[in-house]
Amino acid sequence: MPSVGFGLITAAVLAIAAVGFTLQFAVTNVLNLAFASIMTLAAFVAYWINQTGVSIWIALIASIAAGALISVALNYFVYSPFQRRGSAPITLVIVSLGMALILEFGTSAIVGGISVSYNMSQGSTVKFAGMILTTVQLIIIAISVVVMAGVYALLRYTKLGKAMRATAANRMLARNSGIRASRVIAITWALTGALCGLAGIVFAIDVQSFDPTSTDIFLILILAAVFLGGPGHAYGAMLGALVIGLATEVSAAYIQSDYKYVVAFVILLAMLAVRPTGLLGTRT
Amino acid sequence: MLDSPGRTAPAAGRPHQSRPYWRLRTVSAVAAISLAAALAACSSNSNSSAPGSGSGATLTFADVAPFSGVDAALGPIYLVSCTGATNAINKAGGILGHKVACTTADTRGEPADAVPAVGNLFSTAKNLELVIGCTSDEAASVVPVINSHHTVMFCMTGQSEFDHVHFQYFYRLVPPDLAESYAMTVIAQNLGYKKIALAFGNDIGSQTFVQPAIAAIAKAGLKLVANETLDLHATTFRSEAQKIVAAHPDAIMTEALGSADPTLLAEIKQLNGGKMIPIIGTSAAISPAFYSACAKAVGAADFAKNFHADNLVTATSGPAYNAFTQSLLAIKGKTSGQIGNFSTYFSAPGAVHLYDGMNLAALAMVAAKSTDVAKWLPWIATIGDGAPGAVTVYSFAQGVAALKKGEKIRYEGPGGPTVFDAFHDSPGIFQIDTYSAKGAVVVSGNITAAQLRAVQP
Repeated sequence: MPSVGFGLITAAVLAIAAVGFTLQFAVTNVLNLAFASIMTLAAFVAYWINQTGVSIWIALIASIAAGALISVALNYFVYSPFQRRGSAPITLVIVSLGMALILEFGTSAIVGGISVSYNMSQGSTVKFAGMILTTVQLIIIAISVVVMAGVYALLRYTKLGKAMRATAANRMLARNSGIRASRVIAITWALTGALCGLAGIVFAIDVQSFDPTSTDIFLILILAAVFLGGPGHAYGAMLGALVIGLATEVSAAYIQSDYKYVVAFVILLAMLAVRPTGLLGTRT
Repeated sequence: MLDSPGRTAPAAGRPHQSRPYWRLRTVSAVAAISLAAALAACSSNSNSSAPGSGSGATLTFADVAPFSGVDAALGPIYLVSCTGATNAINKAGGILGHKVACTTADTRGEPADAVPAVGNLFSTAKNLELVIGCTSDEAASVVPVINSHHTVMFCMTGQSEFDHVHFQYFYRLVPPDLAESYAMTVIAQNLGYKKIALAFGNDIGSQTFVQPAIAAIAKAGLKLVANETLDLHATTFRSEAQKIVAAHPDAIMTEALGSADPTLLAEIKQLNGGKMIPIIGTSAAISPAFYSACAKAVGAADFAKNFHADNLVTATSGPAYNAFTQSLLAIKGKTSGQIGNFSTYFSAPGAVHLYDGMNLAALAMVAAKSTDVAKWLPWIATIGDGAPGAVTVYSFAQGVAALKKGEKIRYEGPGGPTVFDAFHDSPGIFQIDTYSAKGAVVVSGNITAAQLRAVQP
């Protein structure tokens, strides 16, 4: 049972990132491979603030803001100009890959090749149903649940959410229906960037020690969760995160732990072979 | 829910420029870049490491090591040593009138990145006389390349293949990894630990410790209760930590650099009811970056109380130590990547032994009265091992002064005396290091050759 607890905490962090990533992809049409690098940079922003004596829970707000600002800037200065020129989607993928490297190496150049930790307590250890979690990990799970509920409410009950869904479904038709698609896209970059910043800081809190390269493999896990759930489907990303999180940790408990990612990706491949559109995707 | 965006049309924007216009710009840009690259290549090739650099030209020592990636902490340590050593050499008048400067080549700790980085180094560095660094991450792929360029290297790799494969220009002042595995086992014995867990990174440099450690643990009559391989790119190690805690080891032998060990140790502490399990690290753990990351992850006092590492015996006082520390203190804060308690560099193997390597190379050039590698190469062993009647010198400046008087010299730096074997290895002897809660390295004991032999399978 401890591994189920570990899987839940991994899934909680992954879900925040995967939902942000998939919403961004669905609405903006950009498969932003720089997402994980922005997470790291936002985590370092929180670190710098935390080093001045500010509580990490207050620095969390700065991390969210940093994620939003960097994402909006990235779209405004990089992705949008390419999109306006009619660049092919694969071109944008390569551009985003380049941005990921620029951000990672840029962060590395600033902070050096060191691992850092926040000044914070992990809290007491809580044991229940065979699981072992700290109070901080329980807070992370709670944050994740609140974010998932918030995303659900946003998409289902608000005008903005409906406009996002419409823009994702058919941008041209959304425009013709009076939706200001460019504004919706800009807001989406800010919102998903905020989720990216939040994912960055909860990731860093969870792993307890991080460096500029820490999210390298996490990006792969994000992609796995997104594609397992069905690209562009926020609920699918939540489900995908849960499956990937549990699969990696539970498998590590029963087989040699260096195979844990192998197991996760075998599940992904098997799933896509049976259902190419992902768990919640629909054929078009 | 949101639909897949694949069907959406591109956003409308300003009209596209006509294709010929963009093609022309692209072709022009590519041509300009190609021309610039060609000119750069020509200019650098004409100045690259030709034998016997011209009078007064600055010589280059290159730090070939990871500056990014999971082992990114290693390169900056070597750079501190390089900058300190070259600064002291320059203050003493340089090598035969040549100033010396350091350059870097970032291998990212990956052979695939290391080979082009070294290729680029040889095509751009001017008067490249010496390479330092070459860790186990990349040594197997770059040592043959550096050797083929007839460039002397002092490497930090502990890979055992270099114990019996001869490379003319390869030198090593650190022990093979298997000897470190034996040393860690001796530390476990000395401290009375019976049940041992292994937790090593999945990189080449860390995995070379595993099999020798397993064999030594068995020979020593200790019990191996867990053996976890840590994917250095993984984000957490909770499952690995849980397996280790469940095995109830008395101590954990580990080397997993980057954020892997700090994360693992924090998770072990969490799963072990807030109590750390004693750790035995390799000499790579004697570095400011490692201490800083682990101390922050598990608490400085807890880490200091529960940590031991093997390390080669290094001087902690005396003329060699004083010259070494003065050289490093002179460049404190002047190289990138310096962190933590600066005094940790005085014991960090990468700082100590590479400093000695650079001084040996520099003195060899002075003794040979040439920067032509063919002429100064044989002098490395002569000055390191010492010829009969040689006077012992403890710094580059002392060595130059003695050579000017016509004396034979033997260099003995902070890493102690050298004895090169046929494969240019000078492995040294071990001590046991711990940290104070403030990150200063404390020597807590020594390991004798007899103790090492006793656990050697």
